Amino acid sequence: MNLAANANAALYASMIVYTLAMLAFTWHLAARAPTVADSLATAGAVANEREGVLVGAGAPAPSERRSATPYAAGPGFEESIKSRQRGSIALMLTYLASALLVASVLMRGLAVGRPPWGNMFEFATAAAAAVGAAYSVLAKRNNWQWLGVFIVTPILLVLGLALTVLYTEAGELMPALKSYWLGIHVSVAFLAVAFFTLAFAIGLLYLVRLRREEKPPARPSFIESMPSSASLERTAYSLNMVAFILWTFTLIAGAIWAKQAWGAYWQWDPKEVWTFVIWTVYAAYMHGRATAGVDHRKSTYIALAGYVAVIINFTLVNLVSTFVGMHNYSGM
Amino acid sequence: MSTDTNPTTSPATEPGRGPGTDPTTDPATDPVTAKGTPDTGAGERVRKGMRPDRQEPTLPTLGTVGMLRWGWRQLTSMRTALFLLLLLSIAAVPGSIFPQRNIDAGRVADYIAQNPASSPWLDKLGFFDVYASPWFSAIYLLLFVSLVGCIVPRTKVHLSALRSTPPRAPARLQRLDEHAEVTTTLSPDEALAAARAVLKRKRFRLHSHDATSVSAESGYLRETGNLLFHLALTGIIIGMAVGHLLGWRGDIILAEGDKFASSAGTYNTISPGPWVDTETLPPFVLSLDKLHVEFNETPGRSFGTPRLFDAQTTLQSSPGGPASSENVSVNHPITVDGADIFLLGNGYTPVITVRDATGAVLYREATPFLPQDGNYRSVGVIKVPSASPKQLGFTGFFLPTAEPSFTNGPVSIFPDTNNPEVALSVWEGNLFPGGAPQSVYTLNTDEMKQVTKADGSPTLIRLKPGQTYQLPGDRGSITFDSVKRFAGLSVRTDPGAPISLVSAILATLGLILGLTIKRRRVFVRVRPAGSGAAAGGSTPDGGLDSPAGAGGRPATVVTIGGLSKDSDPGLAAIVTAIAAGVPDRLAERTDRS
Repeated sequence: MNLAANANAALYASMIVYTLAMLAFTWHLAARAPTVADSLATAGAVANEREGVLVGAGAPAPSERRSATPYAAGPGFEESIKSRQRGSIALMLTYLASALLVASVLMRGLAVGRPPWGNMFEFATAAAAAVGAAYSVLAKRNNWQWLGVFIVTPILLVLGLALTVLYTEAGELMPALKSYWLGIHVSVAFLAVAFFTLAFAIGLLYLVRLRREEKPPARPSFIESMPSSASLERTAYSLNMVAFILWTFTLIAGAIWAKQAWGAYWQWDPKEVWTFVIWTVYAAYMHGRATAGVDHRKSTYIALAGYVAVIINFTLVNLVSTFVGMHNYSGM
Repeated sequence: MSTDTNPTTSPATEPGRGPGTDPTTDPATDPVTAKGTPDTGAGERVRKGMRPDRQEPTLPTLGTVGMLRWGWRQLTSMRTALFLLLLLSIAAVPGSIFPQRNIDAGRVADYIAQNPASSPWLDKLGFFDVYASPWFSAIYLLLFVSLVGCIVPRTKVHLSALRSTPPRAPARLQRLDEHAEVTTTLSPDEALAAARAVLKRKRFRLHSHDATSVSAESGYLRETGNLLFHLALTGIIIGMAVGHLLGWRGDIILAEGDKFASSAGTYNTISPGPWVDTETLPPFVLSLDKLHVEFNETPGRSFGTPRLFDAQTTLQSSPGGPASSENVSVNHPITVDGADIFLLGNGYTPVITVRDATGAVLYREATPFLPQDGNYRSVGVIKVPSASPKQLGFTGFFLPTAEPSFTNGPVSIFPDTNNPEVALSVWEGNLFPGGAPQSVYTLNTDEMKQVTKADGSPTLIRLKPGQTYQLPGDRGSITFDSVKRFAGLSVRTDPGAPISLVSAILATLGLILGLTIKRRRVFVRVRPAGSGAAAGGSTPDGGLDSPAGAGGRPATVVTIGGLSKDSDPGLAAIVTAIAAGVPDRLAERTDRS
């Protein structure tokens, strides 16, 4: 049980570091906003000056150009050194926290001698670890410092809930879960959820960013320091695409396992139903994204609805007795 | 909103779902350049989906055929598919909220009993059989009709696209998403050859429509993958249909020490597909020697959760055939004659003996009691039609580990047999009113009344193994001899499963190809430096190019343009690579303006 104790210690440690990372990310965002305001002020001053000259010269005022995207950041956004430093600190903390969390999951797996996702507590922890790891791997190369707080905060929430509500002592598996498919089916599901989560956070930010691009607010905030709405949308799409492929695999692997364990690969058990619902909603999103007549805002709404289904699938379906089915061996 | 929201689009001009999933472009001519490059290749592209003019057109009269065509186009349009997908996902949800007959008919019965007001309506609307209901079936059938109506024409288009040559280079390559211009000392032919070499290496399909340009296209696998994915989905459905028609399942409850000979009549329940001949079921014989079960005895949240189910069986593939010892456990079915045998349930069969007043045995059987909760509080019924003067029926509970006080009624506190006990009430009268068939697990008390003690209170029989209870009056006695475990075994064949599995794997493959591969077109055009703008061009900035090579050597200007359907970060890299592949450059790649 020593390993199990260490796993718990690593879990607590990762929560502390994630908390620090969350604070650092907030601190980082605080440093981003004024930069935009400053640059906007400068840009505005220049524009005014030019306008004055041009108006004086009798030329039409170039107001159209300004109202379109007054401070679309894009490549023009200059990050201050302060903001960059804080972003780096936050990222470092996230790396450490994610490493601790992954280590905790691994130690728990070693302690119980099986894939460490046999009950709801392990499930929540492993899913959080997948999200943390996916973000850590992708954040640096994509300059996703602005995204950090929106990823780390939900991770902390999930870990907190896992420890307070769902905690289960490390133990042996129920017979139904004793299959190598547990390692394949569930780990790919985690990976898919991790990508869905990143895409969801970016999708939400896209909607906010788009709204503010269309109706520029009086004062800019850190939102304006993010990539343009079009770029955010493309990123969310790519992530959703990866997640959708992984989810398709999850669905198929689950069916193969179900055939082995229950004798039929598809029986509309509640978990299967929701896995299918998620799949169809995201399939609708992929179609919407590929249909020229459907604007990206609408398809993003579909993707967000899909993520709500993901959350329902991982919470209500496991915990609420209405959804009693054959997946109810979560140790709850 | 180009295509579908325009109700005035007549069927003749409605392109349906174009390849590359963009309805705004004509599938036959242009699967790639859908993203809005208005004047690439004038005359080549016909934007059928786009409103040519905004004025109100006079509506043509469609007639029956026209209406049918219009309806078909609507059904097979991408928007309809999107809508049906969303509808399907919503329609699937009630099946996870309401109990379903296909999963647990008992829970449906309970639900109906508890909700007498709403349940008849819910039942009529199919909420207890969602996945077999007309509305659910209608949605997925429409979806598949839409799918087939989409992929058949798309396959035709794609097959011809596979044989086609890349289109002529558009006039102004500078207007494409990605473009570059380099000047080289090579001759135009040499420069073009160098560009061709790079494109060839990158597996583009090449074609030169004239001596000064080359057109290249790649990523045909994208549409191949798309089509494969959608085609494979129909394969999954076909596999499901085959399984439904030709598959069968039979369930058995088999107590330890008992033997089961497979035939249509011996299963507790059997559900054959419509095309199954139940006379040809595999005639195996299976006996359950021992069922090993373990539960977690460590206190904590997982207390009482199962740890092991393992059925030790002896199997003969035909009566009198050689016997082999087989273990059936959860996740490890055994196969005999194409049928898989699964261990899906377990429980207890108390061995009960009922004697008459003279001591003659009326009933002695291992009677399965069905577990109701995680601690195996099990319900069961003992029917003794041979009892006299009236038939006797016992109904009640088996508790593997009885909570002794019974303060909350008969409750089991652990799933293993640490303190087994049966708690029964006894009834007398007519067991089978009207002679109608009934379940062996329920007692129909319509024509029975409960046997009471001398003081008029109902009898409650509580027995531990080995104990006997003398029934009041001259009704005889009941003995709880011992308890054995039973295994709930399920025998199944699904000849459609391999079809579905292969289709599912192909679908995944197709999905990966269709989503990750990019359909790209790249055009390269060469002209002698100083010859002005691009061919056919009156571009205002064309004249800004350097008029001649440095040092008066002959020079060639190479213009490269790339086009992709969606966001495609790799395209810029390809354009750059071609620019870099033209050697002996005089000027670096010009700015992408």
